[in-house]
Amino acid sequence: MSKFHPDLDLLTEYSAGTLPLAQAACVSIHVNQCDHCRRVLGQLNELGASLMESLQPEPVGDEQLNAVLARLDEETPLQYERRAQDGDNTPAILQRLMRGDFSDLSWKNIGAALRISYLKTGDPQHEFALYHIRAGGRIPEHTHRGGEMTLILQGGFSDSQGSYHAGDFIYRRPGDVHAPTALQSEDCICLAVLDAPLKFTDWRFRWMNPFLRLRAG
Amino acid sequence: MLAVSETTGDEPTGGARSADGTRIDEWSECLRLIAENQDRAAFTRLFRHFAPLMKAFALSGSTLSANHADELVQEVMLKVWQKAGAFNPKKAAASTWIYTIARNCRTDLYRRLQKFDTPLAAEDVTGDLESEEAFMALHQRRSGERIRQLMGELPNDQAQILAKVYMEGKSHSEVAGELDIPLGTVKSRVRLALQKLQIQIDR
Repeated sequence: MSKFHPDLDLLTEYSAGTLPLAQAACVSIHVNQCDHCRRVLGQLNELGASLMESLQPEPVGDEQLNAVLARLDEETPLQYERRAQDGDNTPAILQRLMRGDFSDLSWKNIGAALRISYLKTGDPQHEFALYHIRAGGRIPEHTHRGGEMTLILQGGFSDSQGSYHAGDFIYRRPGDVHAPTALQSEDCICLAVLDAPLKFTDWRFRWMNPFLRLRAG
Repeated sequence: MLAVSETTGDEPTGGARSADGTRIDEWSECLRLIAENQDRAAFTRLFRHFAPLMKAFALSGSTLSANHADELVQEVMLKVWQKAGAFNPKKAAASTWIYTIARNCRTDLYRRLQKFDTPLAAEDVTGDLESEEAFMALHQRRSGERIRQLMGELPNDQAQILAKVYMEGKSHSEVAGELDIPLGTVKSRVRLALQKLQIQIDR
């Protein structure tokens, strides 16, 4: 059971459908694993529906009704599963975006403890990537030029503000500086959604900053 | 553009309940008839009630043309027909289920119009609320009724912001820009409204 969740602002924007695609994808993975957030989300959807019911109706003509009636025999489009299949812990949406197994991903090494694999969501403003941190490995101290959503998929990490485990959702606002260290017991895999590149503050890694660009798309 | 809460005779709010507490309002019944018998008459009743609301929803964002609004209405109503079998009256009101379909279709239409190249549909990133435990479902239905009752008591400035976020599909920062008020004010009005509606994170 996760201890860190999206706040009510994020859940509201998520339920209103106004979160950017990559962020919505990240929130959806947490929500599907979290009873608390699902309960709040259910209520927020009721709120949306109640606002819709009180709109002033706009007239719709019979030709529209007939156009839909004529299409009722169309084939129903195929549907993707939203929950992971039995016996597989990888969230369904990641399975689709990875197009294969975890071992098939291509990785970019950043230092000895961290490697990153970028996935394509089509969101032009956000990078959506898997981070693999070796057990006990430390990510060099960095700050965020933009917002960073992190969802822990496996293992966990700690930084000066706390310690986080599988299922936890963390949202860092621009300017937050931290240096996460993976738990000693196992490798940590998390999903990170960024709207601006990281910026290393650790002097040994600062030389990389000009090369860090956002891989959105 | 919220209408003054008008209650016409055919409003199924409240609705009768069967012995196990299942909501048996007219619209849930229509969805059942569609799922089980492909009942076109039931679909027509549902269409006449919901299509004008879908159109109002489509137009409240104000960026869709009339043609695109009509396209959206058709798409939502067709989805309602195709997915009726997935509706579970124990989990949510029919209108809530239809709202989430409309919201997703509108997001997809916006993305198509912006030539967004993505393998994901809005529905793919929608939380899966369908596989809920029974006690959660009961809780859900009760809070839905409570929210509908309390909506009428919200102060105007809070109701206006919720309408902008949910009906016009604007992010908190877009609302702040449009009303020329600080982002913090938008967020605090949303939070106050949610507090009054007793929507909170209890953990």
